[in-house]
Amino acid sequence: MELTLPSSRRKKSKYLFMIMIIAAVSMIIIAGSVILQISGGAYQTSPNEVWDALFSSEVWRNPGFLLRLLLGNVVCDHLQVPEALPVSVSTMVVWSIRVPRVLVGLLVGLNLAFAGSIFQAITRNEMASPYLLGINQGAGLMISLILVLFPAMSSLMPLFAMLGGVAAFLIVYAIAWNHGASPVRLILAGVIVGAVASAIQTALRFMISDMMVMHTAMNWLSGSLIGTNWGQVRMILPWSILTVIICLSLTRYLDILMLGDQTATSLGLSVEKWRFILAFVGIMAAASSVAVAGLVGFVGLIVPHIIRSVVGSPHHRMFIGCLFVGPALMALADVISRLILNPIQLPVGTITGTVGGIFFLFMMRRKKEFGRL
Amino acid sequence: MNTENFATETSTRISVQEIVVRYHPNQEPVLDRLSLQILPHKLNVLIGPNGCGKSTLLKAMARQLRLSSGAVFIEDRNINSFSALELSQYVGILFQENFAPNDLTVEELIYYSRYPRLKLFESLREEDYHAVQWAMEITNTLRWRDRMIRELSSGQRQLVWIALIIAQESKCLFLDEPTSYLDMANQIEILDCIHRLNREMGKTIVVSIHDLNMAAQYADWIFAMKDGRIHSFGAPQNIITSELLHEVFDVEAKIIYDQQDGAVYCIPKHVGYSSESVARRE
Repeated sequence: MELTLPSSRRKKSKYLFMIMIIAAVSMIIIAGSVILQISGGAYQTSPNEVWDALFSSEVWRNPGFLLRLLLGNVVCDHLQVPEALPVSVSTMVVWSIRVPRVLVGLLVGLNLAFAGSIFQAITRNEMASPYLLGINQGAGLMISLILVLFPAMSSLMPLFAMLGGVAAFLIVYAIAWNHGASPVRLILAGVIVGAVASAIQTALRFMISDMMVMHTAMNWLSGSLIGTNWGQVRMILPWSILTVIICLSLTRYLDILMLGDQTATSLGLSVEKWRFILAFVGIMAAASSVAVAGLVGFVGLIVPHIIRSVVGSPHHRMFIGCLFVGPALMALADVISRLILNPIQLPVGTITGTVGGIFFLFMMRRKKEFGRL
Repeated sequence: MNTENFATETSTRISVQEIVVRYHPNQEPVLDRLSLQILPHKLNVLIGPNGCGKSTLLKAMARQLRLSSGAVFIEDRNINSFSALELSQYVGILFQENFAPNDLTVEELIYYSRYPRLKLFESLREEDYHAVQWAMEITNTLRWRDRMIRELSSGQRQLVWIALIIAQESKCLFLDEPTSYLDMANQIEILDCIHRLNREMGKTIVVSIHDLNMAAQYADWIFAMKDGRIHSFGAPQNIITSELLHEVFDVEAKIIYDQQDGAVYCIPKHVGYSSESVARRE
C-alpha cells in the first residue's frame, strides 16, 4: 500500500502560514506595547533612551547584573555570582522596574490563554475559562487568606493559589455533577462559587489592619500589574515554563477528549484520569497567574476563541497560537489600562473585564447552542 | 424459543452472562438477566422494537455502562479487568450520537483514533498511517479526506465515524443503528461496508438494525430482543417468521421466502389489536 501523508501538504502549509501570521501580528503588538510601556512613567524616557537601555552593553556584558535581577540577590549571593557593575540611572529604571512589569504581563497572558484552552477542551465548551469556572476566584480567596493570616509566606503564593484553585474546581464540579457535568451547569456553578469566593474576599479586606497590606490587596484584587517587580517574574516563570512543556506534550489527549467521554473511552483513553491531570495543569497555570497579577478576567476566554477561529481546534496548533496571542493580548490590555486615563493607572483587569464581558455577550448571542464545541 | 447450538471458536469469544442494567434504582431494569453468546467472526444483528434495550446491550458489552449484576466476558476474561486501552483493542463501538469539533477535517478526525496508542512524545508511526489509510479506503471516505466534518451529509458523516472505529483496529465492532435516518442508498453503502469488514477481515460484528429486510439480508445470525431480554436467536430464515414478528414487534406480517437464494422478505401489514398489545402501546 502506498504511504500518504497524514494531511495534504496544501492544508498543512495553509495552517503554517496562518500561525506565522498570528505570530507576526502578536509580535508587532508586543513590541509596540513594550516600547510604550517602557518609555512611559514617572521617570520620563524617550524611545531612543529606552532602546539604548534595553540593548546597552552595560547590561548585556554584565552577567552579574542580569542574573541578580532574574534570580534575586539571595540566590546569587548563595551561588557566588559576581557583583553587578554599576549602570546608568535610566538603564536601572528600565531594567529593574519596567522590564519586569512587561515580562509578568506577558507570562500572565500566556498562562491564562493555556488554562482557558485546557478548560474549554475538558468541558467541551467555548464559554469555559478559569475565571468563569470560579478557579481564579478560589485561588484569589486563598491568597487573601494568606495575606491576612500569614503575610510572611508570600513567596509560596503560587502553591497556595493552586490549592485554592483545586478546591474551587472540585466544588464547582460537585455542584454541577448530575450524571455527568453539562457545560451550562458547570458555568452556572462556576459563577456561583466565584461570586461566593469574591464576597468572602471582600469581607477579608476589612480585617486587614495594615494600610500597606490593604493597598496591595486592593490593587491585586482588581487584577493589576502595577508595582510588579522581578520577584513576581521569579514567582510565575517556572510555572509558565512547566505549563507550556506539559501542554505541548499532552495535546493529543485534549484532542480526544473533544470527541466526548463515550467516544474517548471507547478509543482507549482513561477519560477520568486524563481529565483530572489536564484540569490540574490548567489550575496550575491559572493559579500562578492569579498569584502575581490577581483576578484578570476573560483573557482565558478570548484568546482560545480567536486562535480556534483561525487554525481550527487541534490542540498542537491551538497551543502554538496561545504562545503568541496570550502575551500579546495581555500586553495590549496593559498599555490601554495605563494610557486610557493617563496619568491615572487602571488595573489591567478592568480593561480585560470590560472588553471580555462584551465579547462574551457577543458569543452568547451568536451561538445557538450555548458554547458547545 | 430457538435453542440451536453452535460451536464457539477459540478467538474473541464474547459472552454475556445474566446482566442486569438499571438506569434508576427503583425502575424496571432495561436489561433483565440477559445472556447471550456472540458468534465470533460473524455478522451478528440485533433486532427488536424501540426501547427493548438494544443500545443498552451494546453499551454494556463495550463497558460504557455500570452493570447492576452479571458480567460480560471477552475470551473468558471479565471486561472489568481490562484497561481502557486493552479493551479498545478488542472492542470498537459506534454510538448513535457522535460529536466532533466543527473545524476538523475527515482525516484529522480519523487519526484521533490512533492517539491513545501512542506513547508520550511518540509521533505517528507507519502502522498508524496504514491503519488510517486502510480505514478510509474500505469505507470509501478517502475522497473527502480534506473536507471539514461540518460540510458532510449525515450519511457521509456516518461513514467517517465508521472509518474512525475501523482505524482503531479492534477485533470486534459494535454498531448502534448505523443506518437510522439514512436514505436507502446510504443504508446499503454502510451495510456493504460492514459486510466487507466481516468477510475480508474476519471482524466480529454486532449491529442493531431496524429494517428487518436489511437485517435478514446481511445477518449471519440474528438476536431478537424484547423487554430487556433475548427473545430468540438463530439464522435469519429461522428468526424472521410471522410468529416472531407478532410476538416481538406486535405486527402482522407476510413473510416471503425466496427458494432460489434463501433470502427472506418481510412485508408488514398491520399492527396487532390484541387487548394486551393495545395496552402496551398506550
